[in-house]
Parts: sequence; C-alpha cells; structure tokens
Amino acid sequence: MAKLEASDAIVLGISIDSPAANNAFAQKIGVTFPLLSDMNRKVLKQYGILKLENIQKEEYGWAQRTTFVVDKQGVIRQVEEEASAINPNNAVAVCTKLPKK
Amino acid sequence: MHCRHLKRMILAAGFLAILAAGHVSAQNVHVAHTTLKTGDMAPDFTLLDNHWNPVRLSDYRGKKNVVLAFYVLAFTEG
Repeated sequence: MAKLEASDAIVLGISIDSPAANNAFAQKIGVTFPLLSDMNRKVLKQYGILKLENIQKEEYGWAQRTTFVVDKQGVIRQVEEEASAINPNNAVAVCTKLPKK
Repeated sequence: MHCRHLKRMILAAGFLAILAAGHVSAQNVHVAHTTLKTGDMAPDFTLLDNHWNPVRLSDYRGKKNVVLAFYVLAFTEG
C-alpha cells in the first residue's frame, strides 16, 4: 500500500456486497481504501466480468476476480484475471512505472 | 469370470457417471472474461462506497492512478 501511495495511486475495491457489509469487512480486515458496492452488477457488466452460476436452478452472479490499473488519463494500463489478480505486486510494479503527471 | 465382467461394467459406469457430473457442473458456471484490454479507456461509473458516499471513477482523472480490484465476496477468501 505504501508503494502504491508513493506512486500516486489509490485502490478501489469493488464487489456485489452492500455498503453496510463492505464497511464491516473493511473494519475486519483493516483496509483504509474505499470498498465500492456494485449491488446491481452494473459495473461488472460494463467491465464484462460478471460470473454467473446456477445454484439450485437459480442463477446468481458475482465478480470474476479481476484487477485493472487505470492511469490518470483514464486509460487501462494493465488487466489481471483470476489467480494472478490475487497478488498485488504486478499492479504495484505497473503503477510505479507510470508517469507522475 | 462372469463376476469379473460385471465388476468391470460397474466400474466403467461409475467412471462415466463421474465424467457426466463434471460436465454438468462445468456448464453451471459461466465465467466471463473481460474484453477490455491495455490501452482502452476504463468505462466510467459511480458506485456507493462503504460509507454510502458516491464515488466516481472519473473524479480521479488527472489526479490519481487507480487500481480497480474486483473481489468475489466480502468475508470470504475470495
């Protein structure tokens, strides 16, 4: 996190949880960055990472674990999906290399 | 001899059942892969943060680099 802040980057966590659940989660794991609530799956659809699963004949959808690095111009500089998105080191490395302005 | 043949058939049926089950469960999950790639504009959005305040991605334009970390569910290892 310190490395990210040093490279002028912030983190936004996003899931389908409610703001209330996200706040409890933030307190539990001690994160200081915002956790955003995409309860309507709006952004998941926009970004094409809504993962659908049939459970007991009902369809449920939540996020495919994905990390995007977005620069100050709003351009995507890196996309990491699934297992590789757990490790933040690559995202940190990309942010460190981005221009300061 | 006859008994061995029967055992083999049961084993084969078991294998088929396992294969079929695997096939069905794989069909139950639809994994979406993003079509966005490096160099694309990040689609803008506004979402509520954990204090019920709206956060807009484009508010960071010209100010901060943003790491969007989509996670599966709160309180899980996901």
